[in-house]
Amino acid sequence: MVNELASFGRKVRLPGLVTAVLLAIGLLIVLFPIMWMVFASMRPVSETFGTPPAWIPREISFEAYETIFFDPRQQRYQVNTYVIALSTAFLSVGLGSVAAYGFSRFKIRGGRSILLGILALQMVPGVSIIIPFYNMARWAGIWDTYLAMILANTAFALAISIWLLKGYVDSIPIDLEEAAMVDGCSRFQAFYKIVLPLLAPGLVGTATFAFLYGWNDFVFATILRDGHELMPMTVAIGNFFTSHSRDWNSIMALNTMATLPLIAVFVLLQRWVIKGMTAGAVK
Amino acid sequence: MIAPAIVFLLLVMVYPLFDIFRLSLFEFAGLRAQTATFVGLKNFGSLLQDRIYWISMKNTLIFVLGSVVFHALVGGIFALILNQHWPNIWLRNVVRGLLILPWLFSLAAAGLIWALFLNPLGPLNYLFVASGLVENPINFLGERDTALWSLIAVNVWKAYPFYMIMILGGLQTIPPDLYAAAQVDGAGRWQRFSYITLPLMRPVLVATTAIDFITTFGVFDLVRTLTEGGPARSTITLGYYAWRVGFLDVDFGYGAAISVSMLLVMSTAMWLYLHLGREEIYG
Repeated sequence: MVNELASFGRKVRLPGLVTAVLLAIGLLIVLFPIMWMVFASMRPVSETFGTPPAWIPREISFEAYETIFFDPRQQRYQVNTYVIALSTAFLSVGLGSVAAYGFSRFKIRGGRSILLGILALQMVPGVSIIIPFYNMARWAGIWDTYLAMILANTAFALAISIWLLKGYVDSIPIDLEEAAMVDGCSRFQAFYKIVLPLLAPGLVGTATFAFLYGWNDFVFATILRDGHELMPMTVAIGNFFTSHSRDWNSIMALNTMATLPLIAVFVLLQRWVIKGMTAGAVK
Repeated sequence: MIAPAIVFLLLVMVYPLFDIFRLSLFEFAGLRAQTATFVGLKNFGSLLQDRIYWISMKNTLIFVLGSVVFHALVGGIFALILNQHWPNIWLRNVVRGLLILPWLFSLAAAGLIWALFLNPLGPLNYLFVASGLVENPINFLGERDTALWSLIAVNVWKAYPFYMIMILGGLQTIPPDLYAAAQVDGAGRWQRFSYITLPLMRPVLVATTAIDFITTFGVFDLVRTLTEGGPARSTITLGYYAWRVGFLDVDFGYGAAISVSMLLVMSTAMWLYLHLGREEIYG
C-alpha cells in the first residue's frame, strides 16, 4: 500500500503551501473540539467557561474519572455498552460467517436475489421501525433486557456483515477445501479447519464494524429499556444537555471514556476496517 | 447454512417492516393492540394536513442535503490532499488517522462535544466576540436561525471521514499511467481532475452518497441529544417526530404512518437517484 501511494503518478511538489495551510486549518477545526472535551474532563467547570477561556488547563485533576470508575451508576453505563457491543459483534459474525460461507460455496436458488434483498434491508433507517421493535420486545417479554437491544442491533449489523464476509470467503480458493475433503474431511471440518483460520482477518474487520454499531447505538437503547440499570453510555450522554445539567466535567469524562476504547480498537485494526469499508462500496 | 441468518433477518427485520405498514392503518386508544381499530388510510390523510409533519419533512431534507454536500466537499478535499505525493509516508498516515477520529464518535458524543464548543460561554463564541465579528455571543443551538445548521455542522464534522476514506480508496484504484499520458498530451491539473479523476470516481461517489443519504435521512440521535426539535420546531426531523408521536404521545398508528412515509420517500429518492445515476454512467 505504501508503495502504491509513493508511486502515485502526479508529480505535485510536496503538499504545497496552499495545501499545507488548508490542511492545517482543517486539522485545527477537526481536532480542537476533541481536545476541548479532554480538557473539560480534567478541570473544574469554572475554568472551562472562563472569559477568556483557559486555552491550556491550569488545574488538572482526574477526579471526574475516579467518579466514573467507582460510582456504581456510572460503572453500569460502561458495562452496559460493552455487553451490548461485544454481543452484537459475536452474534453478527457468528451468524454472518456461516451464511456468507453458504452464499459463497453453494448454488442457492435465488441466492443473488436474496443477497440483494439483504442489501436492501441495510437501507431501512433504524428509527422507522422502532414501534414494531417495541411491540415485539413487549410481546416476547424481553423489553428492558440486554437481549432486546442486542437483537435489534444485530439485525442491522448482520446484513452488512454477510456482505463483507462473503467477499472474504469468495477470495479464499475453493481448491483448499476440496483437497481437504478428498483427504477425508467432512464439509464442516473443511469449514472449521481450513476456511475459518484463513477468514480471520475478515472476521476481525467485520466484528469491528458490528462492534461499532452496537457501541454507538442510541435509538434502540432509547426505546427498548427503561431506567438506569441497562442504560448504555450513549443514552447517558444524550440525556445530559437537554436535561440542563451543568456538570460538564463528569459528562466529558464519560464522553472521553465512550470514545477512547474505539480509538484504541481502530488504531489496532485500522487496516482491516478501512479495507472492509472500501470493499463494501466498490462491490 | 444460510438458514439461521435468513430466519433471523425475517423475524427481526422483515416482519417489523410489514408490521409498520399494518400498524399505520390502525388507530390506537392506548398501548394495547386490543384497543386498535382499523381506520384505513385515515392516518395518512391526517399527515397531509399536519403542519408539524411538513416542517419535519422540510428540516429533514435541508439536513440531508446540507450534510451530504458538505460531507462530500470536506471529505473529498481531504482525500485529494492525502492522495498527493507526501514526502513522508509516516506523517501522511498519522494525519489520515487524526482526520478519521471524528468518525469514531457516536452522534450523541459528537453532539455533546459541539454543545460545549458552540456554547454561548464556549471558545468559539469567545473568539467571535473578541475578534469583533459579533457583538454578543450567539446561542447557536438555541436560536431558530442557527439551530438546524448547527446540527448539520456537527454531522459534517462527525461523518466526513466516511467520504474521505471511500474517495481515498477510489483514488488509489486509478492507474497513474492515465495521468502521465494526459500530462504528455498537455492536460493541465484542472483538466486532469475533471476529465480523469471525476469520471472514474463516479461509481464510488454514487455509492457513498447513497449510503450517506440513507444514514442522514433517519437522523434522530442528534436532535434528541441537542435540541429536542426546538427552538420553535426549527430542528424537528421526521425520525424525531415519529419517535415523539409514537413514544411520548403514545400514538402508535400515527407514528407508524410517519415511519411508512419516511420509508416511501426514502425508497423513491433512492430509486430515482440510482436510476438516473445509471443512465449517466452507461447511457
